[in-house]
Amino acid sequence: MRKNLLAALAAALLIFAFLITAALAETVHWTAIRDARIVPVNGPVIEKGTVLIRNGVIAAVGAKVDVPASAWIIEGNGLTVYPGLIDALSTWGLPQAAQAQPAAAARTAQPQQAQPQQQQQTRSWGPRDRPGTFSWVRAADQVQLSDARLGQARNAGFTTAVTFPRQGIVAGHGAVINLGGKTAGDMVVAPDAGLYLALRPSGYIGFPSTPMGVMAYFRQLWLDAAHYREALALYAADPVNIPRPAYDRALEGVLGAKRVLLPAADPVQMERMLQLAADLKTPAVLYGAVRGYEMAARLKQTGTPVILNVRWPARDRDADPEEEESFRELKIRDLAPTSPTALSQAGVKWAVSSEGLETPRAVLRALKQSIDRGLKREDALRALTLTAAEIYGVADRLGSIERGKIANLVLADGDLFNDSTRIRMVFIDGVRYLPEPEAPQAPGAAGRAPSLSEEEEQ
Amino acid sequence: MRTATIACLPVLAAALMAAENNTFLLRNATVHPVSGPAIQNASILVVDGKIAEIGQKVAPKGKVRIVEARGLHVYPGMIDSGSPIGLAEIASVRETVDTGEIGDFNPQLRALIAVNPSSEHIPVVRANGITSVLVTPGATGGGRGASAGSLISGQASLMHLDGWTWEEMEIRRSAAMQMAWPVIQMPRFRGADIEALLPGLAGRRTTFAEARRNQQQQVQKIQDFFDAARRYQKAKASGESIQPDLRYEAMIPVLEGKQPLMIFAAREREIREALDFAARERLKIVLAGVRRPGKALEDIAKRNIPVVLGTTFVSPLEEDDPYDEPFTLPARLHQAGVKFAFASFGVQFARNLPYQAAQAAAFGLPYDEALKSVTLNAAQIWGIDSEYGSIEKGKYADLIVTDGDPLEVRTQVKMMFIKGVPVDLESKHTRLYKMYSARP
Repeated sequence: MRKNLLAALAAALLIFAFLITAALAETVHWTAIRDARIVPVNGPVIEKGTVLIRNGVIAAVGAKVDVPASAWIIEGNGLTVYPGLIDALSTWGLPQAAQAQPAAAARTAQPQQAQPQQQQQTRSWGPRDRPGTFSWVRAADQVQLSDARLGQARNAGFTTAVTFPRQGIVAGHGAVINLGGKTAGDMVVAPDAGLYLALRPSGYIGFPSTPMGVMAYFRQLWLDAAHYREALALYAADPVNIPRPAYDRALEGVLGAKRVLLPAADPVQMERMLQLAADLKTPAVLYGAVRGYEMAARLKQTGTPVILNVRWPARDRDADPEEEESFRELKIRDLAPTSPTALSQAGVKWAVSSEGLETPRAVLRALKQSIDRGLKREDALRALTLTAAEIYGVADRLGSIERGKIANLVLADGDLFNDSTRIRMVFIDGVRYLPEPEAPQAPGAAGRAPSLSEEEEQ
Repeated sequence: MRTATIACLPVLAAALMAAENNTFLLRNATVHPVSGPAIQNASILVVDGKIAEIGQKVAPKGKVRIVEARGLHVYPGMIDSGSPIGLAEIASVRETVDTGEIGDFNPQLRALIAVNPSSEHIPVVRANGITSVLVTPGATGGGRGASAGSLISGQASLMHLDGWTWEEMEIRRSAAMQMAWPVIQMPRFRGADIEALLPGLAGRRTTFAEARRNQQQQVQKIQDFFDAARRYQKAKASGESIQPDLRYEAMIPVLEGKQPLMIFAAREREIREALDFAARERLKIVLAGVRRPGKALEDIAKRNIPVVLGTTFVSPLEEDDPYDEPFTLPARLHQAGVKFAFASFGVQFARNLPYQAAQAAAFGLPYDEALKSVTLNAAQIWGIDSEYGSIEKGKYADLIVTDGDPLEVRTQVKMMFIKGVPVDLESKHTRLYKMYSARP
């Protein structure tokens, strides 16, 4: 009896174990991109080579690669293989309600009603009210495959985005996501990209209502979080005598922040944010930096990475035709596209955000403007790939074409930054995506399209 | 100084006042008539509040009070061509501010009715040599017109800065009709940096097309109001029985071109629209709050339109304008041949009126013109130059006696006469000065 039972048990266990390994190691899927020009970013260009993918991970790269007989062969003749592009500050994949608000330095006209701020109608009187604070919100919990912008992004060669919730002044935690997958959970590469902070004193009612107040509030929040951590530790050491601290989701969210993303549109704001980051004792990544050409040296000195907003300032389409633009404005407008060059030359780590641009494709066009003003193509490509991965600590898995990295690839029929170049296909986690028809109006375009009435067109 | 004469009969009171107060001989002073060159060692005979004689040899007729002014200078009292003085006491206390009324069109309102003769600001302003003010009923925004107030805010009144009641202060009940020309208002974001700080502003943005539509609607409102007033005027002239309407009634002198319409317009675009409107409607206008006339300056000169300039103590409107753009504007107006006067458009800083003119004189405006812009030009613009604005025979004796050039900051006003009556130069400032000087 008992022997039988044991045998049956053993058999069952065996079967169970076999099932698990079978599940983990199904049939191996091989894909090979053959005879293509390969730009691995982390090394020299391979003029004619093969990329071999095994179950969504790059297995081999080189001029000579043994391709298994079962591999699905992609003829890469005349094509260039790049690592998948990364949008380093984005809202792609998030439901439209969770992302609102223009980015720093993005000149957009976004109606305020777009914010999910109904719960914010009560007046905030001080830090205790936690105004505009959503530090427990995680993009990883909210990403959706149904976002129409994912297709648009893939069409432009983007395979990855670091996407952040946008609401209030402490918006929540971003996630590094791949722009495709079978389920929403498949998309998440890293769920803790950092905590997004904004200086937006007018998004709610009451305290804080000035940039200075917002910064003071951030400091208070971090002090509160440190106090909370100590109280929890004391309680854990002596739960009998120490009163149990009340659970605080806002502070839990702050404690979990690997890094903070801070807005820095101009040199003055940059100085403020560097000081703030030092006060918060949290590694900072600055975003915006349209005037990076003025900020490069200081950023190098502090070793702070930057997510560059490449929506170069332009005259508003709906501007007053008689308005005289100031020399200062014209200067910023002229020099903004040289920011990437200045940052590269200074040795600042910089990546790129599509924020505020009409289409993902426009990111490449904006960088092309910088290339025309002296930016090296390899620097532009690195910012879109490996540097972005390094800034968010995922360079072990993303950002270049090398063995062991996630197979996120772009196949283009020419140089990525040439306007005539077409993206033929992208691979995300080794799965091929072909270009989709472009939507007439990208939903990712921030803000209203300017209303062109008859009288304006005259 | 003011003697309260207790009398049962007002006529008698007036006679008494006249006898003891507004007849005198001021002698041995340097007289600056403004209408002509200065006269050294001159005397002025004032009889019943009017200037009877000026000259180096003026003999007193009979018993007359002598005012000794050796070593002093006599100038006409200065005129502030626009200030809500007496209508606003403390800007931050709403109950004390009586400028601006609800509604777009209030031409029937008269500023002088609401003036508080006991305003603490009046003696302060007076002490700097300002004897009269054009009291404006509407808000006068900082060079952009009364954007927040009415389109037509009412009748501006010329008033003396002394009197027990507004009736005593009155010079002209309806010197002008105050109007603001609508502005295309777009919040202007200067570069990306500001918006980065305040993206919330982005939500409140209007496109230029929207802003222009709003402005055109306002202009249309003005046009409709004038059309309706014209119909009323016609109907009244034809003897039709009509329902009286105070608003249209008040517009008749403006439509007839008898009363000047004081239009606030700061920039070239508004100025051009206002000029065209005035030409179409055949109105007599005065432009006020002009800041950046651009090429419209030639038009202003060609059409002989007088201008009221606000304070010179401002920064330029545009970032790239030269720093002295507001300082040189009066000189540029003068070169173009435009007649202008200065206004403070303020209450507590109305006392700086002479220094506004001085600032212009330091930046290219001939001194004589600077002096005229706060005296004779103002009187001419408001149509009271037969009685005020200079020291001439037959005019009222609105005089200030100073120890120097009244446009100079260090000059003290020693005496002041309004219609020949000596005026007290004490104010809250002098009282506080004495009080704290005597502090042990």
